[in-house]
Parts: sequence; C-alpha cells; structure tokens
Amino acid sequence: MSFELSAGGDIPLYRPGNLADAIALLQAHEDARPLAGGQTLVSMLSLGYAQPSAIVALGAIAELRGISRLDNGSVHIGAMTTHAELAACRSFAGGQALLASTAAQIADPAIRNFGTIGGACAHGDSVADWPPALVAADARMLVDGPNGQREIKACDFFVNLLTTALEPGELLTAIVIPAIAGHGIYRKLARVEGDFATVSVAVTAAGVAGVCQSVAIGIGACGPCPMRLQQAESLLIGRPVTESLALEAGHLLAQAIDPISDVRGSAAYRKRVLPRLVAQTLLEVLA
Amino acid sequence: MTTELLLNVNGEQRPARASGATTLLQVLREQLHLTGAKCGCGYGVCGACTVLIDGKPARSCLTLAAMCDGRSITTIEGVSDNGELDPIQRSMLECGAVQCGFCTPGVVITAKALLKENPKPTREEIRGALAGNICRCSGYVAIVDAIAAAAEAPQ
Repeated sequence: MSFELSAGGDIPLYRPGNLADAIALLQAHEDARPLAGGQTLVSMLSLGYAQPSAIVALGAIAELRGISRLDNGSVHIGAMTTHAELAACRSFAGGQALLASTAAQIADPAIRNFGTIGGACAHGDSVADWPPALVAADARMLVDGPNGQREIKACDFFVNLLTTALEPGELLTAIVIPAIAGHGIYRKLARVEGDFATVSVAVTAAGVAGVCQSVAIGIGACGPCPMRLQQAESLLIGRPVTESLALEAGHLLAQAIDPISDVRGSAAYRKRVLPRLVAQTLLEVLA
Repeated sequence: MTTELLLNVNGEQRPARASGATTLLQVLREQLHLTGAKCGCGYGVCGACTVLIDGKPARSCLTLAAMCDGRSITTIEGVSDNGELDPIQRSMLECGAVQCGFCTPGVVITAKALLKENPKPTREEIRGALAGNICRCSGYVAIVDAIAAAAEAPQ
C-alpha cells in the first residue's frame, strides 16, 4: 500500500463563518467536500480515497456548535459537537443517557477530542457507533442545503453502506434527541478496545416495578444500515424482562439481521453473539 | 493554493506552508524537523503521530495544518524541559517500556494528557486512555506499569 502524508496537489481550503456561505461554497465547487472534525476526511485524503476540488471547513460556523436542552425535554445537538463533548455532556436525562454512553465508546480519546457527531453521521459507516444509537433514540436529523431546510428521521437517514439521505450540497446541521423515559446504554463487541464494532447494541428502556413500559433496541454493524425490529420490542412491553425473555428478543433480532463477513467477524459469528449482547444490555438498562 | 502559516509549536511561533490537504504531521516532520511524531499508519489508527493540540491528544496525521492557526501544539520535543526528562519519560525507561521506541512519543504525549486530567488513574483507565496507541514490541504491560509508576511518584 502506498500513501502520502497528505494528498498531492493544492486543494483550496475555505473557512466560511456562516452556514449560508458554506452551502454556497459547496454549490460553487463541484466535488467540494465539507470538513467537520477531520478524523475521517483527512484519512481519506491521505489514502487517496477522496480527491475533492475544494475543502469547506465548518469549524468557524457558530450555529453548528452547542448542546441545548429544550423545554419539552428534547436535546438539540449541533453537528460540530465532538464525541468527547457528548461523552461529558450533562444535558441528557433518562434514556438520553444512551448518547453519552455511545460517545464514550467511540474509537479512542484522540479521535473523540476532534471527531464530530455530524461528520460521523454524514459519513454513514455501517460499523460506526452513532447510527444504531440515533435510531434507537428516534433522533431527528436537521439538514440545510441549497433547497432549504428539512428534517429526516434517523431511521430514514442511514440508507446504505456509506450512504445517507443527504442530497448533494446538503449539510447535516443538528441532531435532536427527544425526551426518553428510563435509561439508555450502548454496548459493543469489538476485537480490541477502540476498534469499530463487530456487533453493537443501543438500548433505551423504562421499567416500573420490574415491568417494561417502553423499549427501543438499535443494532449496529449487522447490515448496511442500523436496525430496529418492532417485533423484538413489542415482545417486551408490559412484561417483566427476565434473562430468557431478553434472549428471546435478541434471537428475533439475530434472525432479522443480514450481516456480511469481514475482518471483524463472520456473518455467522455476528448472528451467534448478538442475542447475548442484546440480553445483557437490556438487563443492564432495566436493572 | 498554498498558504503561509504561523504555528505555535512548543511555545514558539514557527512559520510553515500548507495547502488545503497538508497534514500537521507532514509540517511537523518535513518543515519543522520535529521528527518525534511518527507516521505509523497514515490514517489515524496507530497513534504514533499523537501530539497535543490545546492540551488535548490529537492525531497529527488527521489534522490539517492550515486549521491549526490560533491553537497551541505540543510535540514530544516540547515535553522534556531543557533536556531534562519528564517523569513519564524517565518512568518509561526505568520500566523497560521502550523497545524500538516508535510508539513511545505518542504514548508519552497521551500519558501526559491523561495524568494532567486524572492524576491517579487505575490501570484500567490507563489502558483506556492508551486505546489509540498501538505498540508492536512491548505487549503493553511495561507501558502501563511505567505510567502507573509515574502517577504514583511524588510530584
């Protein structure tokens, strides 16, 4: 494998101070790429997987930053928020704790210091951590672009391998997490700490007197996009979640996934280990 | 489109040139001749290029140099004060945690940031902080010993 420490040639770098200018720059330069935290794009530049005509850095755009808690209990997260900021965030309540749990397990400290939730989501890697968590959290993805603003539900945003619902020239500007009852935890099985997931499970759930009132289970790294299965969730509602019931939900999910075999695990291995990871995470959230 | 930059590296203002795609690692090594930060993988997974940006561990191979104006950069060369080894560096040598030395600058930088934020980490916390620093030689135990010992030592 040959690579350079940076892409050859002179790529112009723009640093717009507001969103409108950023969108205009992306329109003006065909094959321009937005730059968020750089933890993915810069490696793609170095490896020659991306050869943009221009880079539009988003770091100076204030409206893309910040985490705020809204009156209805939902949390508005600017796309340029780093994983480290989300891991340390104190604005989450109830099942929104899933987000801090997820952020803390992304890669390693250096990546978390600079990688952003917006950049990660826009990249749409099927083995990444945010997609299953945001799908479990029923997050809304706020988008802006040449044709104006729109909202996309997380379950509609992650479309395929490295493919999102973003149209050319659109930017993910923020992610809104609704109020979620109970608690939330992210767990992943990986070859080593810091690796992408072999399989991952994002759970929010609330129980009263041991009976499950609400639950959401998002599965990562088991297919081209994150998965939820209504059948697995309905199984648990209104019932005390024992280990065997939790495993039953896990098995329903394992039957529904269609994972590939890759360096992180075979398809058969993923199907084999998913039920127990689902069960363990469910029990942990409801404990 | 190459721009002239002034980077704050180890407390000094250093001039550099960068196009949009020039990485900080390239500038550090090839222009500033600070070769402590290494290129181990070129895409951000090995940690050999780790430096501190505004006190936080960062992958210099995943950082565009042109985005570094106004930020303070610390490399391994900035860790030893006037040629005297930092306690973490001394501990790494005493514990036999340096074999080929390729991962060492990144490890020391990461450990320095860890101990500043968490002066008495558990071994588990040390391992977690070092999750992004790969060592091919040592098996990691001596590295963890060295950082734990540096944390124990009276400041």
